[in-house]
This record gives sequence, C-alpha cells and structure tokens, in this order.
Amino acid sequence: MQSWLRPFEHTADVGFVVTAANLAELFARAAWGLFDLLTDLETVRPRERSALSVTAEDRGALMVRWLSELNFLHQTEHRLLCRFEVDQASETRLTAQAWGERIDPARHTVRTEIKAVTFHGLSVEQADGVWTARILFDV
Amino acid sequence: MNSQALRKVSDYLWEVPKQGKMRVPARIYTREDLLPAVLADNAVQQAANVAQLPGIVGAALAMPDIHWGYGFPIGGVAAFDPAAGGVISPGGVGYDINCGVRLMATRLSREEVQPRLQSLMNRLFQAVPSGVGAAGGIKASRRDLEALAREGAAWSVARGFGTQEDLERVEEHGCLAGAAPEHVSERAWRRGLEQVGTLGSGNHFLEVGCVDEVYDEAAAQVLGLPLGTVTVFVHCGSRGFGHQICEDYLALMDRAVARYGIELPDRQLACAPLGSPEAERYFGAMCCAVNYAFANRQAIAHLTAAVFEEVFGGRAGVRTVYEVAHNLAKFETHRVEGAERRLCVHRKGATRAFAPGHPAVPAAYRAIGQPVLIPGDMGRYSFVLLGAEGAMAETFGSTCHGAGRNMSRHAAARAAQGRNIAQELRSRNIVVVAQSRRTLDEEMSEAYKDVSDVVEVCVQAGLSKKVARLRPLGCIKG
Repeated sequence: MQSWLRPFEHTADVGFVVTAANLAELFARAAWGLFDLLTDLETVRPRERSALSVTAEDRGALMVRWLSELNFLHQTEHRLLCRFEVDQASETRLTAQAWGERIDPARHTVRTEIKAVTFHGLSVEQADGVWTARILFDV
Repeated sequence: MNSQALRKVSDYLWEVPKQGKMRVPARIYTREDLLPAVLADNAVQQAANVAQLPGIVGAALAMPDIHWGYGFPIGGVAAFDPAAGGVISPGGVGYDINCGVRLMATRLSREEVQPRLQSLMNRLFQAVPSGVGAAGGIKASRRDLEALAREGAAWSVARGFGTQEDLERVEEHGCLAGAAPEHVSERAWRRGLEQVGTLGSGNHFLEVGCVDEVYDEAAAQVLGLPLGTVTVFVHCGSRGFGHQICEDYLALMDRAVARYGIELPDRQLACAPLGSPEAERYFGAMCCAVNYAFANRQAIAHLTAAVFEEVFGGRAGVRTVYEVAHNLAKFETHRVEGAERRLCVHRKGATRAFAPGHPAVPAAYRAIGQPVLIPGDMGRYSFVLLGAEGAMAETFGSTCHGAGRNMSRHAAARAAQGRNIAQELRSRNIVVVAQSRRTLDEEMSEAYKDVSDVVEVCVQAGLSKKVARLRPLGCIKG
C-alpha cells in the first residue's frame, strides 16, 4: 500500500483519499488509485501510451472528469493503465500521458466495475503545502 | 440526523417535519426496531434535502429499505409538479437507470430441477454473459442501438428474443415513450455497444428459486406461482450506457442549476425545471437508457428460457410473470388532495406498486393489483407482493425494492476471509456460480439486511400485499 493513498469504506461503494506535493502529482496519483481499485497494478506493463486532455469548470469537477475519462478508456478500449505523467494541470485544464496495456485475461484480474466517479463528498484541497483529494466511486 | 429529529406518525411511518428550507416534510416508512439502522448513515438527511427541491409534491418519501445514495437516498420516491416549477434530477434516478427485476415461472417442480441443478447453473453461466466488463451478449451496431433505445424490449422480441406475450407483462410494456437518441452522447453509445444482453457485475444476478411459502393462494394462482413452482429472477440494468447518461447529465445540470436560480443543499441533487431544455434532453436520453435496460432483460430472459428448454425440454414452460423497474423518473397521474395531477415521479431504489383496477396493470392481473418483485440476498429469500390502495393514497403508487446492504464490500470481504461462501451455500443446497470469488464474498448473505423486515413494513403500512416467498436454489453472480 502506498503511503499517499488511503482507501475508505462506504456501505455500498468505495473511495480513497490521496495526497501529493502538487496538483499535477495529485491527479497522477488519483489515476493510479483508480486502477489500483480495478486490478493488481504489479501485473500491468506500460506498453502503450495514451495522450489525454480534459477541461472542467473547477478543480473538483476536473478531478471527476479526469478519472471518468480514464474509466471510459478502460471500459471501451479494455485497457489497464499503470503509469501516469501529468504534463500540465491548472484548476480547469489538464493534459497528461498514460501508459498501460490491453486486458489479457490470462494475466490480469479485473476486480470490479466502476459505474461512475461521483461528486459526493468530493474535495480537492491544499493545506500546508500538501494537496489532498477525497473521491468516492459508484461500483 | 438523530432520532430526535423524527416524529412518529404511526407504527410504520416517521416524519422529519418541514423546517428550514424544506418545502414539504420527509416521510420514512420504517419500524421502531429498524430505526437505528435507518439513522446509521446519512439517508434521512438526504430525504430532508430532497424535500427542499422546487415543485416537490406532498412529501419526500423513503421506503423501508432506505439507505444512503448519491444525492437522493436509495429507497427514495419524490414527485414533482411541472405546473409548480417542479424539477427532474438525474441523481433522483441514479447511475444504473432502469435497474430492475424480471420474474419468470416454469412448469417444473423443485424435485425435477434439483438433480440437474449444477448443470443447469453451469449452462446458464455460459449462456448469459456476466461479470466485470461483460461483453458480447448480442451483437448490435450503433444504428441497432438507436433502434433499441427507441423500442426497448420490443427490439429484442423482434430479433427473436422472446414473445409478444412477454411485453404484456413488463412495466410500461418494456418501452418508455419519449426516447430521444439525439440527446445521448457518443461516449454513452460507445459504452453501450458491447453490453447488450449482459448481466454485469456487483449486485446483479440471475437466480433460480422456488416458491416455498404462499400467503395469498388466489393471487398466487393468478400469477402462476403455486407452492413448489420453480422460478427465475433476472436483476440487471442499463449497464455502461445508463451510467454514462447519468454522468453526462449530472455535469450538464450541475452547470444549469445556477442559471435557474435553484439552491441545492448537495451538488449531487443537480436538477433542472421540467420543461426546460436541460430537463427535456435528460428525459429523452434517460428514456433511451430505460429502454436499453428493458431490451437487455428481455434478451437475458430469452437466453435463460432457452437454457431451461435445452436442459428440461418442452416441459420447462418458462414464462414471464412480471418485470419491474427500480430506478427511473416518469410522468404519471396521481390524485393529490382530491385533484388529479400529472407528476414526474422519481423512484430510486423503489418499485411502482399500482393497486387493483389501475389501467397500467396488465389485464390478466388487474383484479389483484400490480405484481411487485422484491429480491433478497442469495442465501435467504425473496418476495412477490402486489400493489395496494395505501400506495396510491400515500406514496404515488410506490413500495420498497429490496434488502439493502448492511456491510461495506470491504467489510464483507473481511468477514468472508478463511471461509468458502460457495461451499457454505452448497451445504444448504444452494448452487452459486460466479465470475470471481471476491464477488461472492462481497455479496454474501450477511452483507445484506433481512428483506423480510422491509417487506413486513410495506405490508403493515398498507403499501403492498404479500403473495409468496421464494427460496434460492441456484444463483449466478457477475
């Protein structure tokens, strides 16, 4: 378990709190946390690269959009992603690259299906030089 | 919210009186001994939040299976009047649009099925795609999908999945009018493309059971559910298609709220006034997802019937008893304070339960009322109920929908450590087949509340009548 990622429990769903030194790293780690819910990331190789770009009206909505985009990529292209580099992150726009591979049932176990990244109890905050995001997923 | 905030109305009804920004009271159907569980999460506050929405009529209601949801509580029912500034809210429908249940009955007895149960369940598991990312149920092009979104269950029937007779026994005949494929995003089409005819994962299931107790002999005869009848439940929804439509429109309405001057206690309650462009577009897209789910269950029901015929031959006699929807918003006419009003009724984890005589109840059942199907958990029992007058008078013709979880998935997985859930169920003559052991652990019986408590409250409150109880024999989990 990474020290910067802390899952929390909820009766029907799952979520996590993620921390980082800056906003770009926070988005990258949240993405890692998403795929960590879906599979054992030790089994995923960074073979193919995807370029991503998302926009939203504030940083909370941007986090939801970013993770939703990754979940969409996972569900429609059957990919698992394991490495993320956020090139630029502002309050409303993010550009990033992600590496991973197509799901191979022989090597990968997909644990769960994420219906959606929710706005519920969502926070993306900075305090004392540490960025923290709290995100809940509908599974 | 604590118990002090609640006022007891009757032995089966509690109320959060109208206060602060609430436009109406919030009313929760429950029982004294169930109150601690109801108050354990934030669900009652969520019902009180719903009571703040513009144009809400009567009360923000919650059924006895109330639990925490996104924005609206699960088990929530709320009706909005378009003529009084009423709204429509994607959060009041939920992510899994038209998640619902179909019940089928066979002509087989438990004694006939039991010796071949394992091979029956294995064959069903092969025939009905299930599990995380399940795909490949029915091949559909993008163009097919648009037709499916307009036509619902009839689309599946036209392709040989089932019969016209099935459609008579599905809520709304398996097609909610108003579908507008032009308001569905490209992303939703892409998520929906591979998933037609798939069960999905999580709490979705296909269960073979049998009638083990009958409470109303006459009604059970009308429904074709005498004691000992082998039955099949299919529980699934609109898959990624519906999830994406909810996500798209939550974002759209999140932006629209300020424009319409709507003040919200929770961002997840995002909504738009009925009649506004945002509301029209959401309704049109939501109907597409509703119809996707109808088509999906119709196809799965047919695949299921085909397996029964393969295993048991013509004597299987699988036929649809009824199908209900759990998560949707639709326009219905209800009598409120003596006057008929056309309202947009949101049911999120709640079931329509129309009383005897209602024209929307299939002719074959009109004298007894609309069948209501309440699945429990895979180890205990499920119930078949009927809609009753109390529901028409108090809950916009609605009742409960299921058991509700009492353990998080993590907690259930922990409780299952060192145990073999499949083996435990097998020792009680229940065969389970699942894509993953983890799903079985998370979905274990103890992770759910006792559905008989939920049902009992609805019966005592006059919202429904009990017809029969079903015991699980075999279950497929995604």
